[in-house]
Amino acid sequence: MEPDVLMASLGPRPAGTLQPALAGAESCTDAEVMLRVKRGDQSAFDFLVRKYRRPLVSFMYRMARNTAAAEDLAQEVFLRVYRSRQTYEASAKFTTWMYRIATNLAVNHARDTRKERPEVTVSLDEPDAETGTTMDVADGTITAEEALVRRERMAAIRGKVEALPERQRLAVIMHKYQQMDYKQIADVLKLSESATKSLLFRAYETLREQLKEFV
Amino acid sequence: MVMKCEEIHEMMPDLASGSVGMTSEIGGHLAGCGACAGKLEEFRQTMALLDEWQAPEPSPYFDVRLQARLREEIAKPQAGWLAWFRRPALAAALTVLMGVGVGLFFSKNRGFYKPNSDEIAKVEPQTQSEPGTAVSDLQALEKNHDLYSDFDLLDDLEVQHDVQANP
Repeated sequence: MEPDVLMASLGPRPAGTLQPALAGAESCTDAEVMLRVKRGDQSAFDFLVRKYRRPLVSFMYRMARNTAAAEDLAQEVFLRVYRSRQTYEASAKFTTWMYRIATNLAVNHARDTRKERPEVTVSLDEPDAETGTTMDVADGTITAEEALVRRERMAAIRGKVEALPERQRLAVIMHKYQQMDYKQIADVLKLSESATKSLLFRAYETLREQLKEFV
Repeated sequence: MVMKCEEIHEMMPDLASGSVGMTSEIGGHLAGCGACAGKLEEFRQTMALLDEWQAPEPSPYFDVRLQARLREEIAKPQAGWLAWFRRPALAAALTVLMGVGVGLFFSKNRGFYKPNSDEIAKVEPQTQSEPGTAVSDLQALEKNHDLYSDFDLLDDLEVQHDVQANP
C-alpha cells in the first residue's frame, strides 16, 4: 500500500480528525502497532498519534522555548516516525525510538535558538504560557501580588531547568515530567543505568540548591 | 546501618517523587542518618515545586496541521536513485571524478598528447611492415625522401629535357 491508499484513507475524513479507534490495538504493543503502520495501516498511525501527541507536546514544550515551537517539533517527530516506517525494526522499544527522535530534534532546536528570548514573561496583561488565558486579578481568588509571585516562581523553575547541562535537563524532563524510568532514560540517552542515576542525582541536587528560596 | 549514603542518594529522585516505595532497609538508614533524611525532605519539596510547571494541552489546530503535513508528505514524489544526485557532496565528488576521467581520456587518446622522440624510437621497430606491401613502399619513400628530391632537381635541368627527347 502505500501512498495512494494512505491518501485515500486521509481524504474523506474531516480535516484534522483522527480515526476513532484501532481494532485490537489494546492488546498490541506499540512496536506491533508500528509494524502495522509499516504495512500501510493508516489507522495504526493515527492510534500512535492520539496516544503520544500529548506527551510529545509536553516534552517539547519543556525543551523548546514556546508553545508554537513545541507543537511544530512534536508534529515533526510524528512525520519522522512516519517517514521511517519502512525501516522500522521492532527490536527497540517504540517509545525509546520515538523519544530518541524527539531528543535529537529538541536538542538541535535548542542549539539553533539559544540566543532567542525565551517565552517567560512576568506580566499580568499577557496570556499565560500554560493556559493561554490572561490572569484575572479582579475575581478575588488571587491578588495581583500573588499572581506576580506565581509567575516569578514559574520563571525560576523554567530558568533553572533550562540552565542545566543538556543531558541533565533531558534526564530531568524525561524522569520528572514524562514519568520514564532509569532504563528508558538510559536507552534514549545511550548511557548506562548507573550513569543515568548519578546524572539525575546531580541534576536534582543542582535544582534543590538553586530553587531553595522558592520552596 | 546496612545501606550506604551513596546508595540512598542514587535512589533519592525516585524516593522523593514516590515512584519507589520506602523499604525497611531505606527506612532504617534514614532513621539513623540525619543528613540523608534532611536531604530527602528537601528533594521532596523540590519535586513538589517542579510539579507547578505544567505543560499546555495540544492546541485544537495541532491535529489539523499534522494531517495537512502528513498529506504533503504522502503527496511528495518517492525518492528514487536520482535523489542521490541531489546531495551536494556526492554531486561535487561525481563532477570531479568525471572531470578527471574525461581529462585522462583526451590526454591519452586524442591529439593533445605529444610523444617524445624516445617513445617514437621505441614504437618504430614494432611498426616495420612486410616488404612489398603498400605500407612498406610508403615507408621506403619516406626514408629516401632526400634522394628522391635530388631526382626532382635533375628532372628540372634543361639537359635532361634533351636526354628525354633523344634517348
